[in-house]
Amino acid sequence: MTEVPRPAGQADPKLLEILVCPLTKTTLEYDAARQELVSRAAKLAYPIRDGIPIMLPDEARVIEG
Amino acid sequence: MERVHENLVDATFGPRAKAYVDSAVHSKGADLEALEAIVGELKPARAIDVGCGGGHVSYLLARHAGRVTAADLSSEMLAAVAAAAKERGLANLETAQTTAERLPFEDGTFDFLATRYSAHHWRDFEGGIRQARRVLKTGGRAAFIDAYSTGVPLLDTHLQAVEIIRDPSHVRDYSAAEWMATLARSGFQAIDYRTWRVRMDFPVWMARLGAPESAGISIRALQATAPAETREHFSIEPDGSFMLDVMMIQAQAV
Repeated sequence: MTEVPRPAGQADPKLLEILVCPLTKTTLEYDAARQELVSRAAKLAYPIRDGIPIMLPDEARVIEG
Repeated sequence: MERVHENLVDATFGPRAKAYVDSAVHSKGADLEALEAIVGELKPARAIDVGCGGGHVSYLLARHAGRVTAADLSSEMLAAVAAAAKERGLANLETAQTTAERLPFEDGTFDFLATRYSAHHWRDFEGGIRQARRVLKTGGRAAFIDAYSTGVPLLDTHLQAVEIIRDPSHVRDYSAAEWMATLARSGFQAIDYRTWRVRMDFPVWMARLGAPESAGISIRALQATAPAETREHFSIEPDGSFMLDVMMIQAQAV
C-alpha cells in the first residue's frame, strides 16, 4: 500500500496491511468509497467508522457472493 | 446469541471511556513501571494491546515500539484512546475494534503483546490466550496483567461475588495456577511472575464504572458479614476500600 496523507476519519493504511478477516483469517479488500473492509471468503464487509475498523462479524454487512 | 456477553461489556464500559482514560489506578502503577522496563529493553517493532480500555498500556507501548495496535471491544473506548493518542503526539498508535477471542490479524504479526485488566472479561479465556499466541511471532514476548484470585475458595468466592455485583460483565479473576496452566497449554513459556496489591478506593472504584447505589449496598453487606480471614486478606477498610491482588506474567511464545 502506498503512503498517502490520511483524511480525517479514514483508517491508517499501516493497520489495513495487517488486518485479516476474524472468521476466515484471509486478507481483506479495502473499499475506500464505502469505508469497508471486504472479506470475500466470509462474504462480509466490515465497516470503518471514524477511522476505527469494526472487526466484529455481527456488525459486518453481508455481501452477495 | 453469540454477542450477548460482549454487548454487556460494551454497554458497561463504553459510556465510562473517559473515566478509564483519566483513572489513576489505570494510568499509574508498579505493574506499568515493570512493563515499561520490559518494553523499553525489547523495543518491539510491532506491538498489540488486547483489551486496551483507557489505553494506558497502548500509550506506554507507543513510546518504545515501532507501531502499536490498540484493540478493544468498545468503540467508545477506542475513540477516546485515538483522541488521547493524538493529544500526546503518538502517531504510531492505531485502533481496531475486536474481541480477544477472534483477533483479526494474521499469524505471527506481532513481536510483543500486552493485555492488562482485560482477561477477566473474556467469554473464552483459553480461546483468547490461544489467539494471543497465534498473532505473536515465535520467540515473541507477552505480558499478561490482571487482577487474580489467590485460589483459596473462601477468598475466591468473595472476590468474584464483589466483582460481579459491581460489574455485571465480570467473568472471572483467574488464579495464578489457572493462568500458568492455560499459558503452558497455549504455547507460552512463562519467564517471569510478579504480584502486587493495589488499593481500590471504594467510592472511586464504584463511581468509575457508574455502578448503582444498590450494588454498593450489596458489596458493603458482603464485606460486613465476611469472615475475619476474608476481611484480613483484602484489608477491607471501614468505607469498603480494599486491596486487590494484581499479577503480571511475562511469557515467551514457543
